[in-house]
Amino acid sequence: MRPSAALLAALTALAAPVEAAAWVGGVGQPRDHGGPDAPRQAPASCPDDLEVLIERPYADRAGIEPGSTVRLRADPEAEPCEALVAGIFEPAADPSELMSTRPRVLFHLPHLQALAGRVGEVDHFTVRLRPGVDPAAAAREMEPLLVGTRVWSAAEVADRASTTFRVVRRFHAAIAGITLVAGGVFLACIMVLKVQERRAAVAAARLAGIPRRILMGWTVAEAALLSALGGVAGLGVGFASSALVNAYYQRAYDTTLVFSIVTREMVAQGLVLAVVLGLGAGLVAGARLFAADPLDQMGR
Amino acid sequence: MLARSSVRELRVRPLRTVLTVAGVAVATAMLADMLMLGGGIQRSFGDLLESRGYELRLSPRGTLPFDTEATIQGWGTLRDSVAAVAGVDRVAPVLAMSVGVEVEGGAGDARRTLALGLDAGNRALYGVVEGDGPGAGEVLVDARLADVLGVGAGDRMRLGTASEFGTWGRSASVRVSGTGDFVFATARDMPVALPLHDLQALAGLEDEVSFAMIRVGAGADPEGVRAGIAAVAGRVEVVTLAGISEKLDERLSYFRQVAVILGSVSLFVAALLIGTITAVSVSERLGVIAAVRAIGVPRRRVVGDLAVESVVLAAVGGGIGIGLGVVVAGYLESILAGLPGLPAAVRFFVLEPGSLATAYGLVIASGAVAGLVPAMRATGREVTELLHREEP
Repeated sequence: MRPSAALLAALTALAAPVEAAAWVGGVGQPRDHGGPDAPRQAPASCPDDLEVLIERPYADRAGIEPGSTVRLRADPEAEPCEALVAGIFEPAADPSELMSTRPRVLFHLPHLQALAGRVGEVDHFTVRLRPGVDPAAAAREMEPLLVGTRVWSAAEVADRASTTFRVVRRFHAAIAGITLVAGGVFLACIMVLKVQERRAAVAAARLAGIPRRILMGWTVAEAALLSALGGVAGLGVGFASSALVNAYYQRAYDTTLVFSIVTREMVAQGLVLAVVLGLGAGLVAGARLFAADPLDQMGR
Repeated sequence: MLARSSVRELRVRPLRTVLTVAGVAVATAMLADMLMLGGGIQRSFGDLLESRGYELRLSPRGTLPFDTEATIQGWGTLRDSVAAVAGVDRVAPVLAMSVGVEVEGGAGDARRTLALGLDAGNRALYGVVEGDGPGAGEVLVDARLADVLGVGAGDRMRLGTASEFGTWGRSASVRVSGTGDFVFATARDMPVALPLHDLQALAGLEDEVSFAMIRVGAGADPEGVRAGIAAVAGRVEVVTLAGISEKLDERLSYFRQVAVILGSVSLFVAALLIGTITAVSVSERLGVIAAVRAIGVPRRRVVGDLAVESVVLAAVGGGIGIGLGVVVAGYLESILAGLPGLPAAVRFFVLEPGSLATAYGLVIASGAVAGLVPAMRATGREVTELLHREEP
């Protein structure tokens, strides 16, 4: 985007809705650093007192520390510029940056513009609006000043950046649904087996005059209890696997991002679903048990 | 005799059998889907790339085609260097950028879309649905976009760098040469194609391209040609189709890992369910087992007969599960089709007979193993112990 200075001035001159405007540069890439064959002469375009911040994962891999000197160039064929590493920064735990394979380096904007030969250009602006200003209205007012560019609200940017995660979430929900069906069928199967095992005892209880309602209640309660216990055990597995997932992926991607979270809502949902499945399975098994004559069940 | 008894056992306990078959079917469906998902996208994307007939891609360093709007500058010189490399048959440059389009004489609503600038005669990225490919001053419009805008061959459109709110930068009036089907378009993209020089002039990028496709001559080794191009064009990325597929696979490795984990769990659940049912079934027939052992039937034969029940359960449940898996794969595909940045033609779940046969075979094998365990335990006991343990 060019010329940035004029645009920034114009944006600020809009005055009414704009509280602050800042420009954001691109991200440079360190090509190499140190080494005995380093050119001694820097090109004329190298900014004076070039300082950068290097992201922590790359700094760890490359053995870069605050105070190190790195060589940077915007193009593989350009002469490199030497830069002092002013510090190491921990990149924000942003899932949309997870698959980024290029190390991130932070510059002072004029330094990067000079290094890249793009003085007066920026990739995008961020603009903070005054409280109460409608972002869409502000965007409509700003965009005519920025021909060939596009103004996005923070909500739109977040919405576009999170599309992948919304899709993955739906995928997970679908898989969870299939798992629930499989779990429900499994539970019903186990309950059918259990009631078949004790059909003679239940038949005897029926013949002794214990109301069917009470026996059915016991059967359903047992299924619900069994299911709830399974649910608790499953939550234990869930917590453990969540910890494993986080440990594995945080190590694999060298990030502080939390990949798997077990929330209270999930715990509650899991337990409620387990109990509901248990009640259903108990009803299926109980209905089967009480459909037969007790004398037949006792083998008479 | 025991084999017949095992099969009869399934018939006389219909609810138990139906529930077990249903459980095995769901687990098999999940396993089949995960096998399809495991390598599906790489195969699907690889097939799509190979179908274009260009073996190499050349793009700005650190990017893949359609990754970013970064461009290769000084293309004219670079093109000559690349074309001179031994084994290069054809170089097809592409400029891809976001543009605004509106129908001339329409309501004046500008719409943003992806524009592809291509050499004359290069139809590797689209197929013509109606009309013809674009000549100078013409544009080919994605068939879906043509429907949305209500345009067809012969209509005129305005094309240019435009803002969201209708403010135009550079623009040009172009004639619609026809409509097309764009191979690498995502579900959201509805691209247009026009001659490379026209798009370069419109964008003010006279000597720049986004990437280039390179066809290797007959008999030449693509990897050798790639190395040759990389030697003369150090400031760009040169990748083979296999390299692109691998990079995509790295980016989508999450789905491969999910497929392995869920596939394994599904197989375990199927085996557990069959094993449980067979164990109960065997314990209910200890008297029969004792009797056949007492009359001298070999243990191996008894075990085999008892395992028939688990194999039948796995075979029936697995068969239903394969059909269910195909249906569920369609549903899951419709969800994952919403992932941004992937060509709409790429499939996550590739229906291959090999995957389905593997899933079916694994379920039957795991069912057989799960059934063998209780059968071997029961037949390993003395006849008197079996009779003692039999339920009255």
